[in-house]
Amino acid sequence: MSGATSVPVVPAAQAGPAAAAAVAKGGGGRTDSFGKRVVIHAVLILASLIAAFPVFRVLSVSLRPEDRLLEREFKLFPEGATLDSFVHVLTDTDFPQWLFNSLIITVGTSIVGLLFAATSAYAFSRYKFPGRGVGLTALLATQLIPATMLLVPLFILSIQLDLKDSYRGLVIAYSVTSVPFSIWILKGYYDTVPIELEEAARIDGASQLEAFWRILLPLSTPALAIVFLFNFLAAWNEFVLARVLIGSSTELFTWPLGVLRFQAQFQTQWGDLAAASILISIPVVALFLYSSKWLISGVTLGGVKG
Amino acid sequence: MTRRRASRFIPFAALALVVSACGGELTTSEEPAESAAASAGEEFPTGDITIELWTKEGDPQIDFVQALADDYTALHANVTFEVVNKDVELLREDMVNTALSPDAQPQLLWTVLDHVGPLVEAGVIQELGGKFDESVLAEAAQGSGTFDGKVWVAPISIGNQLMLYYNKSIMGDEPPADTDELISIATENTDAAAGNYGFVLNQTESFWLVPWLGGFGGSVFADDGVTPTLDTPEMGDALQFLHDLKYTDGVMPAECDYTCASDLFTTGAAAMIMNGDWELANYTDQLGEDLGVAALPEVTATGEFPKPYIGGTYYMVPSAVEGDTLTVVLDFINFSLAADQQRAQVEQLKRLPSNAEILADPVVTDDPGLQGAGDAVSKGVPQPINVEMRCNFDAMTAAVRDMFGGNDDIEGILATMQTAAENCLATLQ
Amino acid sequence: MNVDQTIGALVEVLTTLAVVAVAVAVLEGFLYVVLVRWLKARLAVPFMLIAPAFVGLIGLIFYPLLWELNVSFTNMSLRNLRDPGFLGLTQDMFVGVDNYVRVFTAPVLQQATFFQVMWQTVLWTVLNVTFHVLGGLGLALLLHRQMRGKGIYRALIVLPWATPQIVALAVWRTELHSEFGMVNQLLAGIGVEGPGWLIDPFWNFFAMVMVNVWLGIPFMMVILLGGLQSIPSDLYEAAEIDGASSRQSFRHITLPLLAPVLTPAIILGVVWTFNNFNVPFVINQNELETSDTLVTGLFRAAFQYNRYGFAGAYAFVIFAILLLFVIFYVRRSGALKGATE
Repeated sequence: MSGATSVPVVPAAQAGPAAAAAVAKGGGGRTDSFGKRVVIHAVLILASLIAAFPVFRVLSVSLRPEDRLLEREFKLFPEGATLDSFVHVLTDTDFPQWLFNSLIITVGTSIVGLLFAATSAYAFSRYKFPGRGVGLTALLATQLIPATMLLVPLFILSIQLDLKDSYRGLVIAYSVTSVPFSIWILKGYYDTVPIELEEAARIDGASQLEAFWRILLPLSTPALAIVFLFNFLAAWNEFVLARVLIGSSTELFTWPLGVLRFQAQFQTQWGDLAAASILISIPVVALFLYSSKWLISGVTLGGVKG
Repeated sequence: MTRRRASRFIPFAALALVVSACGGELTTSEEPAESAAASAGEEFPTGDITIELWTKEGDPQIDFVQALADDYTALHANVTFEVVNKDVELLREDMVNTALSPDAQPQLLWTVLDHVGPLVEAGVIQELGGKFDESVLAEAAQGSGTFDGKVWVAPISIGNQLMLYYNKSIMGDEPPADTDELISIATENTDAAAGNYGFVLNQTESFWLVPWLGGFGGSVFADDGVTPTLDTPEMGDALQFLHDLKYTDGVMPAECDYTCASDLFTTGAAAMIMNGDWELANYTDQLGEDLGVAALPEVTATGEFPKPYIGGTYYMVPSAVEGDTLTVVLDFINFSLAADQQRAQVEQLKRLPSNAEILADPVVTDDPGLQGAGDAVSKGVPQPINVEMRCNFDAMTAAVRDMFGGNDDIEGILATMQTAAENCLATLQ
Repeated sequence: MNVDQTIGALVEVLTTLAVVAVAVAVLEGFLYVVLVRWLKARLAVPFMLIAPAFVGLIGLIFYPLLWELNVSFTNMSLRNLRDPGFLGLTQDMFVGVDNYVRVFTAPVLQQATFFQVMWQTVLWTVLNVTFHVLGGLGLALLLHRQMRGKGIYRALIVLPWATPQIVALAVWRTELHSEFGMVNQLLAGIGVEGPGWLIDPFWNFFAMVMVNVWLGIPFMMVILLGGLQSIPSDLYEAAEIDGASSRQSFRHITLPLLAPVLTPAIILGVVWTFNNFNVPFVINQNELETSDTLVTGLFRAAFQYNRYGFAGAYAFVIFAILLLFVIFYVRRSGALKGATE
């Protein structure tokens, strides 16, 4: 069930050590002419500006001295730039509470989701059992389901099972919904780790579990990290399901619900909204950039072998 | 993210304010109402009773609701309240969904009138006719919330009407007498390049179209009250009028929703705004002496006044409430409708009270803002609250957005509107 | 931050996780007894490993889907707001395939028919994926070389992907305001009068695509960059020695070797774009029916109009379309074989 998240698919497969080393320095052996390089840089600069401009814009709004919705100027650092909005958001609103709520839910569900996925992917990768193919196909099929399709039944069920207006339903839902995708990635990655290593360990007397724990998992760290990252991002940014399952209990709000509530005020508090947006984005962007080395260096789509 | 963002702030009111029929001038002909009958003669239930009250009032109005609850608890120590604020759309959704889980029902609702239709459809509120003291109600508030011949609400305040707010420091003390004057004053005060506009309103909701439809002599339903009549020449005139205001006279911005219009007015960039009575307290705070309040001006072409929908805020009682709890809830309703509490409401929330005695009281009559609001109410009409009305609102909203979005094919818009409403009705099987 | 609330939230999350842990333990114990002790199955281990995940999936995805299928044969709506039970038979809510027929014959929104919305969705998907691929590929090719500032460019270009989508969309929606938004102000700066992005039907659709392309290119770029990096450089060197032009080596080396990465990326891109809810919903602030896609229409049917039965049928029609597409396309290209073998 994708679509609710803004990302992913990813790594595994071919990656492995060999490929990464071979081409890390970046393709083509030709040196570019000066003119060509100028054009390339110009295009990249333009692309970077387009990509970054809304973020800079939010930064600018967050530094404005008052809420000026209808301001017509654009300066990165407006006149009289202050940190008032940030202070206000952090001290006078429930924003820190929302961040905390999101954090505990996200971390908790990411770990659980990772556990489920790591063990299930191991089964799919290392065993042949009846229903394996069907299982994998079913997992793939879940990615086709539009999030909105599940909203109504989950909503009604949550009312009937009294899971609404609490975290119970949300924690369970988040733990499980990223699992199919995570299994896919991890299985693809496990498939590239030669089974001989585990077999050697078993011959030496290790149990199945120990082989998994001590041999395979450590070798799969990049994939595990990516899966954790994506689970984290998916749960952190998730909005629709949270709105449906938590809806009106403001003290339980995760940050997307809280932030959108800023918009729903009589006077849209744009300064606060912008400040909150920056505060939310910083850790996420940082996490993202930090793990980008796993994303780009030698990782390609999972489970695909030419 | 729900559809009618602006409607969150508009307590959609409902029903039968048969104001025109009794020629009601709110400021005069009310007889002194009898003070609200206390439940003195009956035995008040003992035992702990908790009342969960869902209210659409947010900050700061919710303080008044809480104060009301606290005052009641001071009188009856065994009754405690839990006052919960819910966004207007969420309140309706959550209440409708209690049909699936009755245990989740609160004991009392404080909300807007257009919720009556859906809530009755879903079967989650109970009739209130004869259960609370209706004798204290002003004529304008009596008979509110009648649907299917039954009374479903207890009015707390009257209002929700759209009216004209104007900035005296920009355009002088007197409001325009008719729409031609409105246009000329607005044109004088418009300088788009500087960001100043003469007349602004929410360009994204059908609620703002309705008064003009009335001013041109039309209405959304045929006489039977359920057949939509959205493609009438009167509707065409109303749409054309608004279209011309924007595109021919150029007195409003190219794109402006509720927040945009309100911001323009409070920052002094707009001379006049068409907005509702719920902003009265806020605008008085912001503009002080410069604020003028009046009914919408007479339509020059027809000689009629625009007819905004009238509503207010209302109590509704969920269907599962019974026994001692019900007794207490009804007593609390009577308490809220009593003179002292209604007076406090006027002072703190600046809303017209439903209590007849207070409506005639100087606390209302001496306040120019409330005077203007009262005048606007007197020219309004009851808002239909049946479920079919929702189809009309939806169809009209799409039409309004289309027209303000630049479509000048009024005939086409009328046809589309009517078809949309009819399609919607067909789905209400 | 309120201490009570904080502790309360923490406790709630932890207890739910604890309950999950206990449930898993019970499940495993049960399976162990049944499979190992009783049936003495040899293949007990893999089943025990996948059991927690699949039980969760059955509960959270498969059962709700079945429930929705059930509801699609009833007339559950605002007027009939109660649990329909099995096919609504006992509650007098059964309407057979009526809802399915309605999906195709009656408007699914106020005016727009299924086919109109379907067409809009297809157009939306094709435009987006095309630009995602072109843009992503172009940027990946540009970045795939020795150059200064590579890291900075990558970091900046990845920002749309990294920024929380709610935040990005809220900002975009503000900036698309025809008078006070940045987009039109910039256009005015170069002497062009910007359109009403949020209120005009054509421009709103354009804006939706534009924003989603902005959101989606970074991801495609990263994938393709990874793919490019796994192509050994000796192939290019050999080609250069043989006198191939850069265009030829692109066509005959790059593209074919990118295909295993590109094809699944395109398929996923199609699926995700087709199912994308956030972007059309948020950018289409005025609920213009010309900007609705199948999934936003579904949301409106269910939550704005409470037409649960109808929404159920509608949802399955959407799912069926997507399923058919994937089956045919994937079968033909064999692209996702690795995932199911």
